[in-house]
Amino acid sequence: MDILTNSLALSRLQFAFTAIFHMLWPVLTTGMAIYLVIVEGLWLKTKNITFYHHARFWSKLYVLNFGIGVATGLPMAFQFGLNWAPFSEAVGDFFGTVLGFEGTMAFMLEASFLGIMLFGWERVPPLVHWLSTFLVAIGANLSTFWILSANSWLQTPSGGEFVNGKFVVQNYFAAIGSPFMVNSFLHMFFATLETSLFVIGGISAWCIFKERNREFFAQSLKIVLSLIIIVAPLQIFIGHLSAEQVYHYQPTKLAAMEAQWETIPAGNSPGWSVIALPNDRLEKNDWEIKVPGVLSYLLELKPRLENPVKGLKDWQSKDRPHMIGLVYYSFRVMIAIGVYFAALMAVSLFAWVRGKLTESKWLMRGWIFAAPLGYIAVEAGWIVRCVGRQPWLVYGQIRTADAASNLPPGEILFSLGGLALMYFIFFGVTLFFGSRIILKGPDQELQPPQFGKIRFIPDRRPAEII
Amino acid sequence: MEPLQPLQEFLPQVWFFILGLFLFFYVLLDGFDLGVGILSLTASNEERRSILMTSLGNVWDANETWLILMGGSLFGAFPLAYATILHALYIPAVIMVVGLILRAVSFEFRENAENKFIWNVTFGVGSFVAALGQGFALGSVFEGITVDEAGHFAGGIWDWLTWRTILVALTLIQGYVLIGSTYLILKTTGELQATHYKTATIATWTTLIGAVFITVSTPVLSEQAREHLFSQSLIYVFETIPLGGILLVYLLLRSLRNREEVTPIVWTFLLFSLSFVGLGLIIFPNIIPPSITIYQAAAAPSSLVFMLTFIGFLIPIVLAYNIYNYVVFRGKIVAEQLAE
Repeated sequence: MDILTNSLALSRLQFAFTAIFHMLWPVLTTGMAIYLVIVEGLWLKTKNITFYHHARFWSKLYVLNFGIGVATGLPMAFQFGLNWAPFSEAVGDFFGTVLGFEGTMAFMLEASFLGIMLFGWERVPPLVHWLSTFLVAIGANLSTFWILSANSWLQTPSGGEFVNGKFVVQNYFAAIGSPFMVNSFLHMFFATLETSLFVIGGISAWCIFKERNREFFAQSLKIVLSLIIIVAPLQIFIGHLSAEQVYHYQPTKLAAMEAQWETIPAGNSPGWSVIALPNDRLEKNDWEIKVPGVLSYLLELKPRLENPVKGLKDWQSKDRPHMIGLVYYSFRVMIAIGVYFAALMAVSLFAWVRGKLTESKWLMRGWIFAAPLGYIAVEAGWIVRCVGRQPWLVYGQIRTADAASNLPPGEILFSLGGLALMYFIFFGVTLFFGSRIILKGPDQELQPPQFGKIRFIPDRRPAEII
Repeated sequence: MEPLQPLQEFLPQVWFFILGLFLFFYVLLDGFDLGVGILSLTASNEERRSILMTSLGNVWDANETWLILMGGSLFGAFPLAYATILHALYIPAVIMVVGLILRAVSFEFRENAENKFIWNVTFGVGSFVAALGQGFALGSVFEGITVDEAGHFAGGIWDWLTWRTILVALTLIQGYVLIGSTYLILKTTGELQATHYKTATIATWTTLIGAVFITVSTPVLSEQAREHLFSQSLIYVFETIPLGGILLVYLLLRSLRNREEVTPIVWTFLLFSLSFVGLGLIIFPNIIPPSITIYQAAAAPSSLVFMLTFIGFLIPIVLAYNIYNYVVFRGKIVAEQLAE
């Protein structure tokens, strides 16, 4: 196989694999941290012990995911240098700065207060504990911000210019706030929140379905639903804004997302392709099904296109993305999931208003089905974003092919093989332990923490875990 | 070479110092963390291993994060060094990352597992392997990295494996065991504490022997290191380091013999600081020994200023909440409370 001797392909494969796998964990912990802040806050405000039990129960799933998120993040932090040395050198002045900021502002904050959040229940006053949970959530979401700022710059480089292939920064704030940054950050912020909420909602629905701690989980489902009412529609709106920006700034990516080979001139009213079979060799779709007249509404909210939609054939093969089918279907999968989430929210809200939220078995099945979908949508979105950006690493400036280190393929196989083996094992183990935590259910006998009574107790993990 | 502007000299120096500081915190803090992990391989029963891991529960993540801070800041401040060093040290860096991953996941997996054996092994072996990878990386940097005139890596894939890097790796592991033992002396009581008075004493000697070998072989082997160290301005500083080292080793051994609880870790920290200053002096002003200086590898002055503005003012805050974390969880870990 060619790929085994091609270090560029192997480096790309390793980055894609480690990034896709890493994403599975922080996407949950980042969003779930916000949920934990809310339930702990509700406990402090209402003094209702059930909210405390919620905080303790869900934080068990949280911490199970957190450790793997940290562990799988390590290769991400070093991979730019390990496999992409020419890239690191060319853009380090800006890109490295942002990663440095992420470490100092986000990771350290999250990591330091995590200890107090997990083990400090009886060591600090309740308000300080809540503040620690809050700072963990802030830390996690700040790292979303910095990662999306860095990635957005790869999509829409700004704030300086390339001199002899090296990026010279002229305005740091313009580089941090590149055109894609705001929408991309918001899209990812809501993606982590929405994914976590549907995971919590899905688990709650399963427990309701199986008649396990029905009241407890009905409560978490209601908290989730109250937030989803805002999040699900807003996410579709921000997604729409992001796609509009792609249309404006990255025409090659938009053409790949739509599997559009020929340019559509302005003034037309083209259809939106729903299913197609793109054929990269013949540079056309073998077949496709279109909804007539919709594309101009999607892109410009107008009945007729004001600007042309460029087709892939406008560029030479080396200047446009390939794997069109992957980009095209990833995009549609993400949209379908976003719409499903909004529809599920609407149906559930209707049932809730009628006081029958937890009674319909079918509705609960709909929520259980939704639990893994957020992850799929997030990964699909990142595939659109980064495969669609090809052949560029920095859009229009640095080609991926020129950015890779000249490593012996054996070295990359060694790291990729080792990481892949570990990651698959972790994935299985986490599902196993996670399902055990869910099956065991919340400990509703747990007494509230006794801060102040035991002043100098020794270190210990929460009694319930032991 | 044209004379450098004062600012162009000063900024890379500041960043060399800050990166040294991050690495120093990493080596001290994750040093005891990894050391406790390595020592867990020798723990005689499950209860002891539980205490060992509990002593790290609230801090391991923050300790490890110093490495991420160092990596990110190196990328921003000296992009060339980040690129070339990681390219050159691909295998040791991957070994380290794999080790750190294994031990990081062990905390929660062990907590949830009934059969704790697997996760005891991944924790202990992961800690050992991570330390080994770091030792090879450190050793290779001191040995020097082969680069072309643009500063790009031009060596072979096994350059990192020589008898001297093996020596450095083994010594670093001893050092981590020493610092881990003194941490456990501080955090435990009874028989467990007694065990680590012994391991600390043994590790002091083994670290010392390794350090002496490294110190002796450094000026002998590297022409450039010798020239640099024995230049007029540095010789006085450099002379005091072995003397200070001998004094600290004496104080450390005495505190261990007297069964003191807090002082061993203090002397060990100081011993590490002293070695760190020594190593920093050997490297400076290079960032990719033996030939690429901090001035050649530095990012543009505007980058360094921009990073300094934000990261610089955050350093005291970061330190403050790290210390707060240790204060909140002060005190001994006792087995009875674990069983509760």
